[in-house]
Amino acid sequence: MEQKQKKKGIFSTLGRWFRRTFFGASKEYEDINVEEIVSPSKQVVRNFFSRKIAVFALIMVILMFLLAFVAPAFVPLDLNYTEILQQNLAPGFKMMSVPDELAEDIKTISSYSHFSVGLSNAGKVYVWGDTKLRAAGYDMADIPEEVQNNKILFAAAGFDHAVAIDENGNVYGWGNNRLGQYPGTIYSDPQANVNELIPDAKVDIDNVKSLQCGYQSTAILMKDGTAICFGNSNGCLNMQMINRYENITDLTYTANYIVALLDDGSIAVGNLKGIYDTVNGDPNLKLSRYVGKRTITSVASTSATIAMLVVDEKADAAATTDAEHAAARELIFSGSFSYGENKPPVLAADEYFVQIEGGANHYTGLTNKGNIYAWGSNHLNQLNIAEGAKGADRLIVTSFQNYAVDKENHLQAKWGLKGYIFGTDGKGADVFARCVHGGKMTMTIGAVAVIVSSIIAIIIGCVSGYAGGWVDLLLMRITEIFASIPFLPFAMILSAVLIRTSLTENQKIFIIMLILGVLSWTGLAKMIRAQILAEREKEFVTAAKAIGVRERRIAFKHILPNVMSVILVDLTLEFATCLLTESSLSYLGFGVQYPRPTWGNMLDAANDANVIKNYWWQWAFPALLLSVCTISINIIGDNLRDVLDPKSDRDK
Amino acid sequence: MGKYILKRLGYMLVVTLILTLLMYLVYNLIPVNRAENEYKETMKSNKAAAAWSEEEKADFKKELYSKYGMDGNIFIRYLRWMGLYPYSGYSRITHEYNPTFNGLLQGNIGYSYKEAKPVFDVLKEPMKNSIFINIFATIAALAITIPLGIFCARKKGSKRDTLIQIGTIVGYSLPGFIIAILFIFLFAATLGWFPVSGMKTLNMVYTSKLQEFGDLMYHLALPLIAMTFMSLGSMTRYVRASMIEALSMDCIRTARAKGVKEKTVVYSHAFRNALIPIVTIVIGWFLGIFSGSIMIENIFGLNGIGRTYIIALQGNDFETALALQMFYVFISLIGNLITDIVYGFVDPRIRVNK
Repeated sequence: MEQKQKKKGIFSTLGRWFRRTFFGASKEYEDINVEEIVSPSKQVVRNFFSRKIAVFALIMVILMFLLAFVAPAFVPLDLNYTEILQQNLAPGFKMMSVPDELAEDIKTISSYSHFSVGLSNAGKVYVWGDTKLRAAGYDMADIPEEVQNNKILFAAAGFDHAVAIDENGNVYGWGNNRLGQYPGTIYSDPQANVNELIPDAKVDIDNVKSLQCGYQSTAILMKDGTAICFGNSNGCLNMQMINRYENITDLTYTANYIVALLDDGSIAVGNLKGIYDTVNGDPNLKLSRYVGKRTITSVASTSATIAMLVVDEKADAAATTDAEHAAARELIFSGSFSYGENKPPVLAADEYFVQIEGGANHYTGLTNKGNIYAWGSNHLNQLNIAEGAKGADRLIVTSFQNYAVDKENHLQAKWGLKGYIFGTDGKGADVFARCVHGGKMTMTIGAVAVIVSSIIAIIIGCVSGYAGGWVDLLLMRITEIFASIPFLPFAMILSAVLIRTSLTENQKIFIIMLILGVLSWTGLAKMIRAQILAEREKEFVTAAKAIGVRERRIAFKHILPNVMSVILVDLTLEFATCLLTESSLSYLGFGVQYPRPTWGNMLDAANDANVIKNYWWQWAFPALLLSVCTISINIIGDNLRDVLDPKSDRDK
Repeated sequence: MGKYILKRLGYMLVVTLILTLLMYLVYNLIPVNRAENEYKETMKSNKAAAAWSEEEKADFKKELYSKYGMDGNIFIRYLRWMGLYPYSGYSRITHEYNPTFNGLLQGNIGYSYKEAKPVFDVLKEPMKNSIFINIFATIAALAITIPLGIFCARKKGSKRDTLIQIGTIVGYSLPGFIIAILFIFLFAATLGWFPVSGMKTLNMVYTSKLQEFGDLMYHLALPLIAMTFMSLGSMTRYVRASMIEALSMDCIRTARAKGVKEKTVVYSHAFRNALIPIVTIVIGWFLGIFSGSIMIENIFGLNGIGRTYIIALQGNDFETALALQMFYVFISLIGNLITDIVYGFVDPRIRVNK
């Protein structure tokens, strides 16, 4: 106060005189503050909020709670979801960033896993997306110079490689070629040897109709109806069979097969048995019988399904109206459907699909009216059709992205997977979604464990401290026994026992909460007992006894509130400890099990040195969230203790 | 004092009995009946045995149950395991019982059927490693935390103290395994200074003892640094708190008043007073890190008892796991006992009260 007055300059002094002259002196005494009287609890709150670090920590904890308990409602998580094409991807949002130059002049865009290869009509190749192949050690963005310098007519992207053919018929490739995915490899699959199939890495360019890549394999379709497929015959099981056909008009890749459309209007998937020989998932409907005399005019495929446009050609030729055309066509599916790939939207009577394209788990179709429909999996936003897409000339659908292209080959609209904010894990699941849901699980377990432990501690501490005598002795011995149980080993053995029982996952998690709670109450109980021993000698207890308040009421209503501050501080610190213990347990594999996420078992992935080094985002984000959480809670606890205990303030 | 120690020992004995029983019961929640298993196995594999008469089969079963100590209820089995109740020692050849004691008290900590050798042999090597790691980490941690804690206590409230205080909060809030992962990422994976895991270089032939030790230390360096780092937070806080308490004692004021040098005041007068709680905590903590090193051993792939414990639990090697669990219990009980006795020495009130 004194310093403030010293700093007041001549002007304020003049001002004060002025005020005094005209308005009286009443306002002058404003800054002589009478010390305000506040209740202790208000004082505590005020002191707490005067500490910057504490307030910051409080904000962090609130944010964490919001992340853990509100965000899961907006971020869906499918526990059984795995996507082999999206494993171990780094954080980033580049998967749909078509280069501006290409967006003006699109010929093709191709993407099988997490990088895309685009080709312009000018013959230039572009690569974007998460281009690093971390397991194999390649970067797809390193386009070979030959590809950059020559005019490229065909380009396609596979799972871990890309292939391009220039105007002279030279076949180039880049990326992983350890399994013979493109010419120039030393190892080659004996069943589909690239060096034998395309000698000198050269094809007759006038004969090439299209180029496609799939899971570690490449297929070049010729205009004369033959196909050249090479690569990993374990990834693409029917390569040699396709190489024998001479009447192929179109090819499309599923996860494990190449599907060939033949010029007689049928399809060939090797010997066409099993799941691909049924229609719409009905095992009694055989494909060839169902198609009958109609012809299949186009095919598209996802990882495990094929879509076929079946046309009754006679009826179609005779048709004059759109409705009649539509009636002559049918869209059928075969394969195994996990995401509703066989349930296209019902179209109006005069509307029919003119183009169907398949992604990894979804289909997108363009109708004769220029409308675009998409169905199948929407895990990665593949179905959220962009606004400006209507009226597109053609569709380009890659595994997880969709591009609508207009007549001038300009990019009209795009939708689908952009990328992952926290990357993906070894099973292809979004780390962010797992972090959010893992936080919910970790916090819930921590909170329940703390509640259980504090209830036990309060009851035992109060009874023991207040009752004294043999009750005290007995309870303290019990406390001692529990305190002697080595925490981590014992929790581990209990979980090991638990894993071998036939309880449901939820029950196991509940029991883990109980275990954590039951093993961690001893410290608080001892502290409460000591506090109560001190409190019960005070006058107000004597007074309460004198006026005949019942014992239980004295213990829980008169003494307990005085011990509340100790409990509050301990609860906070205990919560952080429980979070840590849960994560430690889960990290060691004795807590909540995969696929259910907690921050601890997400870190379990970091047991692998390869993951620690190459896939840092898989452990860094859960570790960061967990650390921020526990550090903030501990800071709050520490500051609470200082604030609640006026003596400790002086100590510091 | 003697009476107090005796009393504590008595308590400890009771607690040990209760805890061992508890552990044994928990283990028996896992339904493993070795006698029944071997009986079925023999009947399946041995054709001669399968052709025995019912009576012979029953006799064989009886012998197996007696061999594994499975005849009798859970408490009898527990007492057998403790060495307080004899195995019946039934023999189907002589049809006679030959009761023998063979349990913990007789020095038999179990037989690992998984490893096909006594648990003692299974644990010998890991135990050596764990003790070495723990002692080393303790010494390293003390060498850092005691000076740091004293420094903080002397400069309490200063900027540097506040900074270190925040550092220690961060230190003890971070789970140990996150620190370890960070260290592996930084020093092993990225910088390549240390090996990522294991205790010796693969296929290496040592020419001398010194080289062997050097290789061991090269592999143990990162785990030891991580372990030391993990304990810095809480230990520094302990030392600081007890030093602050000691520095505010009257005798310190007196010493200062009569003009004793500040160094002598701090290191001789105050530190000696602060030492007692520190020593107590260090003992408890040293014993506690045996279970704490489970994590470190697992992360760094060290052949210690913690890793053995995890492998035993995952691989159904319950005899080894039970023996180790008992070891952890025992260690923690001894820790409590020592703490109690030291407190008893320091604070006479405790002796009288209890």
